[in-house]
Amino acid sequence: MTVLLLVLAVCATLLAGVVLAAVLDRALPELAGTMTRQRIETEAPDRMNRDLAPAFYLALAAEGLSVVPFAPGLALIDSPVGVVIWGACEALTIIVVFLHGWSPNAPFPLIGAYRYAAIGLPVMLPSMFVLIAAALPAESLSLVAIVDSQREIWNVLRQPLGLPLFLVVALALTLRGPMDYADAADIAGGTSAEDSGAGRTLWQVARLAMLVSVSAVAATVFLGGPLGPVLPGPVWLWLKTAVLMAVLIWLGNRVARTTPSRMLTILWVVLLPLSFADLIISGVLAL
Amino acid sequence: MIRDTLAARAPAAVFAAIGPGRQADAERLFARRDMRRASTPRDASVLLVAGDIPAEASEALARVHDQIPPPRATVQWQGEDPDRIAARVAEALKDLRGTGTGEADRLPDEPPNEWKGIGPHGQGGKGMMGGTPYGRPMAMTGPDIRDGLQLDRYTARIGPFAPMLPPGLTLEVTLQGDVICDVSIDSPPFAQPADADAPDLCLARVLRLLGLDRAADRVLGGKRPGALWVRGAIPRGLGRIDGTDIRGRVAAWRKGEAAPLGPFDLPQLLTGAEWSEAMLILASLPPSALIRAARATEAA
Repeated sequence: MTVLLLVLAVCATLLAGVVLAAVLDRALPELAGTMTRQRIETEAPDRMNRDLAPAFYLALAAEGLSVVPFAPGLALIDSPVGVVIWGACEALTIIVVFLHGWSPNAPFPLIGAYRYAAIGLPVMLPSMFVLIAAALPAESLSLVAIVDSQREIWNVLRQPLGLPLFLVVALALTLRGPMDYADAADIAGGTSAEDSGAGRTLWQVARLAMLVSVSAVAATVFLGGPLGPVLPGPVWLWLKTAVLMAVLIWLGNRVARTTPSRMLTILWVVLLPLSFADLIISGVLAL
Repeated sequence: MIRDTLAARAPAAVFAAIGPGRQADAERLFARRDMRRASTPRDASVLLVAGDIPAEASEALARVHDQIPPPRATVQWQGEDPDRIAARVAEALKDLRGTGTGEADRLPDEPPNEWKGIGPHGQGGKGMMGGTPYGRPMAMTGPDIRDGLQLDRYTARIGPFAPMLPPGLTLEVTLQGDVICDVSIDSPPFAQPADADAPDLCLARVLRLLGLDRAADRVLGGKRPGALWVRGAIPRGLGRIDGTDIRGRVAAWRKGEAAPLGPFDLPQLLTGAEWSEAMLILASLPPSALIRAARATEAA
């Protein structure tokens, strides 16, 4: 019974979150607009991966959300290694975006795909370090335990570097604004350059679903997830997730995107050492 | 039902083929709330043809037309008021939703070249690589311009309606990954009057490449860009001409000043740059300076 409710909660959160994200991003009419058009096929595409890439992206968003506790001690997949499961979702996102750029058999999508793979690796490393830092006070890789460890003080205050670094990761995972190296303007929309009709809509919906998922994980790891006074747990989680979604959409629309080679330098030289510092400070504090 | 109501409220997704003299008007048109410039024909349902497209670009125009997913419509813009054009685009979209047929292909669906049975696998080139089977250029190994190792080179012609390039400019680029190792100008940009050099238009072009579409719209509406890290996102020293780099030109445009440029060698400026850097360089050149440079290269 509880499992059924949790499955329902995950699906409802994804669905409502996608609609909310589309409204916040003023993209809802546009999504409906692309739906009404035909899908054009490129020459000799990789049809299987073309169809599977958006489906996998959606599935990864759902999988990420499934390890998030909706109430203290209550997650659909209450895994002792929830952080690792989420880490796998992050890493597989790179592969899914690459396949999306690979499948149309066209130059601009392929450039976007390779760019994203190059950016993806140094983005994943800080992500793992800040998540492990958040797991240290909990002495567990379970997201349920990480929520419990924040009863006194949220991780956003205990580890102030964690959330800002994780937001950079979130922008990269959702192909948004300053970290959107896969679908950038200088390569005519990159991996999406050849998408048309329903396939285009599906990819955009999957991007928004990943936004919901990554925001929920950030809310859980850094903002205490379902913890909060008066209101029930799920409501707190939804509120915090919605706030983070709004922050990410705002950042995506307001912060400039630099060139890929410069971003690579910034990632390796600035953000990676910062995430190291976050891990070391959290480790010393947790001793 | 809900889908159709929502779709009717969507800003019109338009792919713009901009002809001589129409760049400034077209770019200002897309700062409107009810118009959206599609970054690829696949994302559009209306082809907006602004001005008279020269005969040598008509085949490219037909190809762009056929890349728009059906149902599709074409709207010609010969200098009417922007409100009238927006209304005509909206009307064309309404017709498409009503009838759902739209225009047929303009070009026959066949390969640009015949099969040329050269080489051991019949595709031209050497071994399993290179050649142009059915007119499709394939990558071939060549020396890497950075370290001299052997790396795949891919040659493609991009333009004259590619949205990241100035209208009319067609480049033949040889890429290794996204590094430009060779570039030549197939056709220079279409001539544009001085209004295309307006500081707000120049700034908006750079902002769009930096992923700041809404900031670009705000600039064209006479407001401040309201964006973070614009200066910092542009690599220092990139696109340096006469001692000013892109950062310097953007700073001048933000103050509402023009950024005049002396003569420069366009292919030399782009060779060795990564694709995204090259596009930033092109967007940071006022159209008049770019047209002069491209014509000088062609004449030489």
